[in-house]
Amino acid sequence: MIEFQNVTKVYDNTTVALKNLTLQIDDGEFVFVVGASGSGKSTFLKLIMKEETPLEGKIIVNGVDITEMKKSQIPYLRRTMGIVFQDFRLIEKMTVYENVEFAMDIIGATTKEKRKRVPYVLGLVGLSDKARRRPSELSGGEKQRVGMARALVNNPHMIIADEPTGNIDPSMSYEIVELLGEINKCGTTVIMVTHDIDIVKKFPFRVIEISKGEIKSDTGRRSDVS
Amino acid sequence: MKLISIKYFLKEGFKNVWINGMMSIASILVMVCCMILTGSAVLMSANISFTLKSIEGKNSITIYLDKEVTAGQALRVGEKIAEVPNIVTCDYYPREEAANRYKDMMGPFFQSFQGDKNPFPDAFHITMEDLSRYEETVDKIKAINGVKSISDRSETAKKLTELNSLVANAGFWIVISLGAVSLFIISNTIKVTMHNRRFEINIMKSIGATNWFIRIPFIVEGMTIGLISALVSTGILKLVYEEILNIVNKIIPFRGVSFNELILPVFLSFIVAGVMVGLIGGGISVSKYLKKEGGDVVAW
Repeated sequence: MIEFQNVTKVYDNTTVALKNLTLQIDDGEFVFVVGASGSGKSTFLKLIMKEETPLEGKIIVNGVDITEMKKSQIPYLRRTMGIVFQDFRLIEKMTVYENVEFAMDIIGATTKEKRKRVPYVLGLVGLSDKARRRPSELSGGEKQRVGMARALVNNPHMIIADEPTGNIDPSMSYEIVELLGEINKCGTTVIMVTHDIDIVKKFPFRVIEISKGEIKSDTGRRSDVS
Repeated sequence: MKLISIKYFLKEGFKNVWINGMMSIASILVMVCCMILTGSAVLMSANISFTLKSIEGKNSITIYLDKEVTAGQALRVGEKIAEVPNIVTCDYYPREEAANRYKDMMGPFFQSFQGDKNPFPDAFHITMEDLSRYEETVDKIKAINGVKSISDRSETAKKLTELNSLVANAGFWIVISLGAVSLFIISNTIKVTMHNRRFEINIMKSIGATNWFIRIPFIVEGMTIGLISALVSTGILKLVYEEILNIVNKIIPFRGVSFNELILPVFLSFIVAGVMVGLIGGGISVSKYLKKEGGDVVAW
């Protein structure tokens, strides 16, 4: 579970990115975080990933207060998350297979584990036949699916997707979110930041709208609805 | 640390050296220059020490007589020298023997050194019992009629000691200055690698790589550069040193210190120095960038 308790984030002592934000995201939820540019939604993700530290308030991830977390513990927090970037961030000199395998190298996975897991995840995102291709040979949608495979390969508790449909054509965007939905069905929490309201409307997931660093609207937690 | 990670670190470190081609070569060249200069100072110092020891071991002084002194007179001068207190041995070294020795050593050029054309004087090799009474004994020998000069090896020893300390001092400053240059170049090479791989580093950090996991391949890269430099400079030093020793041996009978006697300490210190410079250079450049997070890494 992710819990923000009265979180305020200020950059350079002047720019207020988040103002007294309080919210909860349950395990297994799919949440869209929407808002205009500069609304604070990227800061929201950075705080969850512990790339930034709030000025005030507490952030609790999986029962741990990460605002008090030591620097040496941050990598272990991040291993519980899979990150999907808007600009894909694939390594051009590596093949699709190697880009995904690389994430397993980081956690010290054995060759046997990698040989079992990487083809499986590539199969999940529908890229088994493109494992030996380089990112430059793929379409935007395919690149993003590689990014998702890389985020998934270490079996994270949650997927954090920062505008994953921002650099791909609209017809592929639906597919990407649908895929994230499938991942969510397996119990993985998905937090997706987007400004694409059209795509949000097509899915029945929770939507949190942030405006000027504050929650403007929240369709509510799944547990609240039930 | 898992074996699988060690394999990954080594693979990545070696790969970086290869990918950074020109920068790696520049770093290796600077380190090789530094090591060759350091090694030359060490070899020079070792040879001076070796010569000093051989001089001290012999503790022998040569007394040259006037050229006008005949063989008969020379023997009487020898008896007087032997009577001087503190003299242990006094061996006659006739001018013909000196000429013959030079003929053997230098060849045809000295063939004409015979009879009246022999430029060498008769001489005596003496050893003293107590070197602290050196001045007093020498003064007594100089007072003997027929003695022209004394080859004072202690003076040579003093000069060699001075030269040795000069070489050691110069060597020290060479090592310090070129070591700093090597450190600078290696850390810059690694900075270039880090800049080229900033996306990877960013991805690695976001996936949960520890700073050490990111840092170690760069340190391996620095250490590999150090290791290659140590191998290259030891090879060059061996070839050049043995060639110089051969040339010197053709001119004067100088045994010198065999490179093989010094190869192990020289090579080991090169390896340690190379690896240390690589480790420090790698460590410095990586730490600076590991402080950056997320977008900052990509934007730098």
